[in-house]
Parts: sequence; structure tokens; C-alpha cells
Amino acid sequence: MGQPMPRAARFALVALTLALAATLWIWAAHALWTSGSPVPSSVRLPHLDAGRFFSASFLERSASYERFLYVDGLLATAALLVTLGLYARRGASLMRESAAGRVGTGILLGMLGFAIVWLAEVPFGLAAVWWERRHGVSHQSYVEWLIGSFLELGSTFLFLALALAVAMGLAGVLRRWWWAVAAPIFVGLALLFTFVSPYLIASTHPLRDRSLVADARELERTEGVDGVRLRVQDVHESTTAPNAEATGFGPTRTVVLWDTLLDGRFSDAEVRVVLAHEIAHLAHDDPLRGVAWGALFGIPLWALTALLARRRGGMARPESVPLVVFGLVALQLLATPLVNSVSRRTEAAADWGALNATREPAVQRNAMRKLSTTSLSDPDPPAWTQVLFGTHPTAMQRIELTRAWEEGAR
Amino acid sequence: MGLGAADPPPATEPAVAGGRPVRLVVTNDLERGRLSVFFRALLALPFLIWLGIWAVAAFLVAIFNWAIVLVLGRPNEGIHGFLARFVRYATHVYAFLNLAAEPFPGVGGKPGYRVDVEIDPPTRQNRWSVAFRLVLAVPALLLAATIVGRSASAYDLINLGRSSAGNGLSLLVAAAALGWFAAIALGRMPRGLRDLVAYALSYGAQLWAYLLVLTDRYPSGDPLTSFEPLPTRTDPVRMENGDEGHRSRLTVFFRLPLAVPHLVWLSLWGILALFAAIASWFATLARGTSPQSLHRFLSAYVRYQLHVGAFLYLVGNPFPGFTGAENTYPVELRVAGRARQNRWAVFFRLVLALPALLLAAAFGSLLLVVAVLGWFAALFTGRMPLGLRNAGALGLRYTAQLYGYLLLVTESYPYSGPCFEAPPPPIPETVSSPALG
Repeated sequence: MGQPMPRAARFALVALTLALAATLWIWAAHALWTSGSPVPSSVRLPHLDAGRFFSASFLERSASYERFLYVDGLLATAALLVTLGLYARRGASLMRESAAGRVGTGILLGMLGFAIVWLAEVPFGLAAVWWERRHGVSHQSYVEWLIGSFLELGSTFLFLALALAVAMGLAGVLRRWWWAVAAPIFVGLALLFTFVSPYLIASTHPLRDRSLVADARELERTEGVDGVRLRVQDVHESTTAPNAEATGFGPTRTVVLWDTLLDGRFSDAEVRVVLAHEIAHLAHDDPLRGVAWGALFGIPLWALTALLARRRGGMARPESVPLVVFGLVALQLLATPLVNSVSRRTEAAADWGALNATREPAVQRNAMRKLSTTSLSDPDPPAWTQVLFGTHPTAMQRIELTRAWEEGAR
Repeated sequence: MGLGAADPPPATEPAVAGGRPVRLVVTNDLERGRLSVFFRALLALPFLIWLGIWAVAAFLVAIFNWAIVLVLGRPNEGIHGFLARFVRYATHVYAFLNLAAEPFPGVGGKPGYRVDVEIDPPTRQNRWSVAFRLVLAVPALLLAATIVGRSASAYDLINLGRSSAGNGLSLLVAAAALGWFAAIALGRMPRGLRDLVAYALSYGAQLWAYLLVLTDRYPSGDPLTSFEPLPTRTDPVRMENGDEGHRSRLTVFFRLPLAVPHLVWLSLWGILALFAAIASWFATLARGTSPQSLHRFLSAYVRYQLHVGAFLYLVGNPFPGFTGAENTYPVELRVAGRARQNRWAVFFRLVLALPALLLAAAFGSLLLVVAVLGWFAALFTGRMPLGLRNAGALGLRYTAQLYGYLLLVTESYPYSGPCFEAPPPPIPETVSSPALG
């Protein structure tokens, strides 16, 4: 039995460890940030006037439309934080509703936290549906939205239950270091989910348009990927907004086009640009990079969570769960600007990849303009909204990128 | 439906369910003539036609009765007597048709039939309840659709509920159909099936009395008070219900999504249980008893299924654990130790379970309606109505016993009728004989 370490030495050791971890984190983040095929740093976006691409009435209408949604979103976030804050203080009293053991009770408390949040956010969700219906962007009825979002809680609860079972199960054995073992497990689960996610998207069918399929195969060859599954998701009953997504990796790589993109408002050439953008995501391994970014943000998040849980006796105790849920959500909200900036960079890189693949900047410009007008999104929103809500570059930035590509190609 | 020590006094015949204005009286007579059973539907036809004619008259008189009670606050004695007689006669006819009773029911609805109804004399009724009687009866009609169903076609109003809730098999129809085969084979009606038919008839009589404004007492779906005497049983797979009726409104509102992790876990466990049951099937065929480890594993699975079912269908209140451990939930399953089983019964287990599976489907419809009605009731009152809870518990107990039988945990056939549970005998390792019902 040696002498206990002096306080100063212990402090120095902790500081050194933290500095080392921070350095490692920054190095990994930098490596991820610069990996893939980002937009070349030499590219400078020209400043273009939105009035040249959009009518004055549309600019006014879309700004007004989005302003409401921003305010609604901020109020919903405030409701989320207040509700979870109160729940963190009082939630443990709901342990009396459980006949489950330690882990089961923790799972119940976690689920009830999100259930209460759902209740608190219902008015803001309904307000958003009302606004979207009023502007013709959504066709969903209020009851449909309510039932749909209520049932979605089931899948949220499922993932939450799994995460809490892992965390609390490990905390029961490893005490305060549970997160170090939980981190690789969570990353593994995220990988698994990303892999199977294409099969979890509801109401899809194969892309049947032969000329688009041929275009997609040609784009795959150009962008250096193959075997991409092409699916169409039926969403026209709930929304008029067009969209697409790329998901999965390896044999499950999939591009999903919303059927609202194929309803005749977009020309084949414009749909081809959207396909090129999504295939670029797959060519850049963005789904996998997303998991890597998740791990990078997640590991410190879980470590901080473990620290927070110690205020209520540690993660192994169910009464710590309400506080942990509040801490996790608050920390995630704090990280949102960083996460959004990563997402915007990834989207810009996919736009650049699409330009390189199609070499049709004018068509891409038109597609971006139409994407904005059909979903009534503000092409040039205030900067703060991009920081908080912007997962994609603004429509004007995407249009400016096409012009920058053109200038580079000359 | 274990009520623990609160077992009833020893059975006497005939006995009456007390405390209610409409009571079913059942005489314990299970012997059946095979010929009469075989032609039962044809034999009942004249009675059904007569009942139909009577129903038209009763409908018109009931409208008159409704107006009288609305104005005077109580029914006219003569009209009350006429309508009470109609309800009694309908019960006689349906008891005969559905094999709950053997002799011909006569044509006048006179008291004294083997399955009879006693209806209290007219009393003062709440006028608001009378004015909105049809609206108030909607939940009872929904429940009746799963308990009584289409077979009680004279109860035309009951069929209002069918379109939304009663598309599945009703308990009455399922029990009567199975009872028909059993009575043809055995010359007697199995007690469980007869009691299940009696439970359905009791609910139908209460509902009809309520609709005809004979009483303002809302029909109770509680199988434990539907009639007397109920048997006291000691089954190898039995349920103890220690639920106190209180419900948390928060967990009630989110009951379905809260149950999702359990349902997924139950499905995964179910896959393992299937393989374990197959292994147990081979082992039991070879040795005559199931291996201890498999018996324990499958018992835990059946218990967990009961816990999850109780939570999902609002028969229990707290969130259950994920392990199926004993003594952790108010609605608890007791499983006796493994016992020697008849190899023939093991070999043909799936075939033998088919009748019980049919009945379980009817109980499934009942559970669904119990959950929906209980959801609204518990959300408003913070309590689960006792009748609904016990009706749900009956369905859960039957399902648990069926799974115990299917998964070779026990050789004892599921018992379908309402009953009380006695404490288990001191020696758990007993061999029970299979009996349909």
C-alpha cells in the first residue's frame, strides 16, 4: 500500500489527461473534417443577389413562412428544456409506477421523460402543422399528425430502452467507468442501425423510371460507387415538399427519392442532379462518416453524462435517469451549432460532387431554385437561423457554388 | 382469477349472484343428450322465431317505457314485468341454443329454467341516465360485441357494436361451438365452457335490462360476480391478482408506446422459447417429464408474457420487469413444478391445443376492447373499473394457461370459465388429467 497521491499531483494528472484527450479529440475532428472530398478550399463563393433567382413576392413569403417555424422551433426547444429541467427535479418520484428492477425502472423513467416532453411539445407541433397546411406545404390532418407522432414514440422508446439498458447494466458492474465500455457498444449499435436503416424506411418501392435508373447507373460509374439501391418513398399524401436521402453502407447503400420529386415539377435533368448529389454522399461514405462524427461527439457526451449521474448516486441508480436525460438533451442542444456546421460542409461537398459528375451547373442551379420554391424555404435566411437550424447550405449558397464551379471550369 | 384467501363458500345448487338488480341463476346441470345437442340449432329455431316476434313488441313497448321513466322517474309495474319477462325468455332461449342448459325453454319466459334471470321490481331511476341511455350504453355494447357477439341476434342493439369491435369471434359463439363438439363426444358440457356461456348470458341480460330501462345499473363485465356458484380451482398454471385498481394517468396515456420495448423483448424471447419448447417436446416424449432447466425457462417466459399482457391491457398498473421473475408483479402467475406427462398428449399437443387457440382468439378480442375502454376510464378516473379489470384478467389467465399447455409447462388443459383460485396443494409435483374446457 503506497502513500496517497498529493492533491496537486492528482490535479496535474487529471489536467494532463484532459489536455491529452482534448488534443486527441481535436486531431480526430480535424482528420474527419478534412477527409472525404470536400469543396476545395480555393473555391470562393461569389455573392449573388437572391432577387436575380427568386421573385420579390416569393422571398417575402418564404421569409415570413420560415420566421414562424423558427419561432415555433425555439419555443418548442424552450418547452423541452423547461419540461426536462422540471422532470430532472421531480421525475424520480415516478419510480413508484414501476415493478421492474433497477434497470427496468430506469428505462421507465427515461421513457416517461420523453413522454412528458412529447405532451409539452404537442401545441408547437400542431402549430407547425397548421402553418404548413396554411401554406400548402403539408396535407397532413391534425389527427394524423397526432397519432403518427404518438406512435413514433414507440420507436423512440425502443432505442432509449436499449441505450439505458446498456448504460445502466454496465454501470452496475463498472460503476463510474461504464461509459468507456458503453462507447464502443453504442458506436457498434449506430453502425448496425446505419447498415439496416434503408430497410426501416416505410412505404418505399423500387425506382421504376428506366431512364432515371440508367442515369443513376452512369452517375455511379462516374462517382466511383456501384450497387446502389434506388427506392422511391410515397410521401405525397402528407407533404408537397420534395426531398431525397442517401443511407446505408456496403451492400445496403441506398438512395431514396420522395415521390414528390417525381410528380412532374422537376425535369429529368433536375432529378438527375438530385441523384448525383445523393450518390456523392455514398461515394464520400457520408453515412459512415456520420457514425464517426457521432462517436466523436458522443464519447465526451457520455463521459459528461457519467459525471452528471454521480450527483444522483451514479448511472446504476434509476433515480439518476431523469437528470441524465436532461443533461444529455441540454448537451446535445449545445453541440447543435457544431453538428450543423459539419452537416453543411458534408452537403456542400455532395453538391460539389454532383457538379463534377453531371457537369451541368445551370441545371443544378435550377434544381436548387425549385427545391427552395416548392418547399417554401427562405433562400437567404438570417445567419443565426443557419447556426441553430441549418443542416444544409442556404439555397443561395448552393446556387453560388454552381457559379463558382462554372468559373473554375472555364 | 385468483382472489387469494377470499374464496367463496362451498357451492350449493342452485345459487344466485347477489347484489345486482339483474342476476343470472345457474343450476349445475352439465349432462347433455347427444341427439338434442346434435340438432340444437334446428331445435332452437321455433324458439328463436317466437323470440323475434316478441322482440318487435318489446322494442315498441321499450320506447313507451323510456318515455314513462323519463317523465315519472320509475317504470310502470306492468310494462316492467312484460319487459323483464322478455329478457328472461331471451336468456332461456340463448342458454338452450348455446348449450348452457338442456331442457326445452318453453314459450312464456316463466321463472325456474335451469339458466334463469332474476330482475328486481321497478325502482326510481336517474332521469339523466335514462335520457342518454343509448349513448351511455355504447361502451357496454362494444364489450358485449366481444362477449355475446352475433349469436344473440335477438339482441339487435348489441350488433351496433359489432362493426367496430366485434368482427372477431365472440366468447359466447366460441364456447358454444367448442361445447357442441365436447357434448357430442362426452355427453356432457364441460364446466368451463358452460360457465363461459353463462358469463356471456349474464352480461347480455344485464345489458338488455339496461337498454330496456328496467334498471339504471350499468352492466358489469365482472366474470367473478356474473353468477354463483363459481368453482374454486387449483390449476398447475394459475393467476393471482393482487391489483388494487389504482392507475397512473401518465402511464395509462402512454401505455402503448411504453409497452413497445417489452413487446420487442417478448418477441425475441419468444423465438428462444419456441426452440426451447421443441427441445422440451423431444425430451418429454423420451423421458415423460420436461427437463428442469427448460421447465424453468419456459415458465419464466409464460410469466413474463402475463406481466406484459397485464400492463398492456391495463389489468395491472406498474411497469413490469424484463425477466419474468416471480413475485414481482401484482398480477402474478404461479406455475407448479414439472410433472410427468402423458406421452400421447405430448405427441399431439399442437392438435389438442387447437380448440383452446380458437377460444384464445375470442379472449384476444375481449382483451382489446377491455384495454380501449379501460384506457378512457382510467384516464378520467385514475382507476380501472373492476368489471373490466376482471374480464381482462380472465382473458389473460386463459392465455397464460394456454401457453403453459402449448409450451409443455403443464399437461393441464386451459380452463375457460370464471373461477376462484385456491392455494396450491402442499406437494407441487402432481399429474393432472387433460380435460377439455
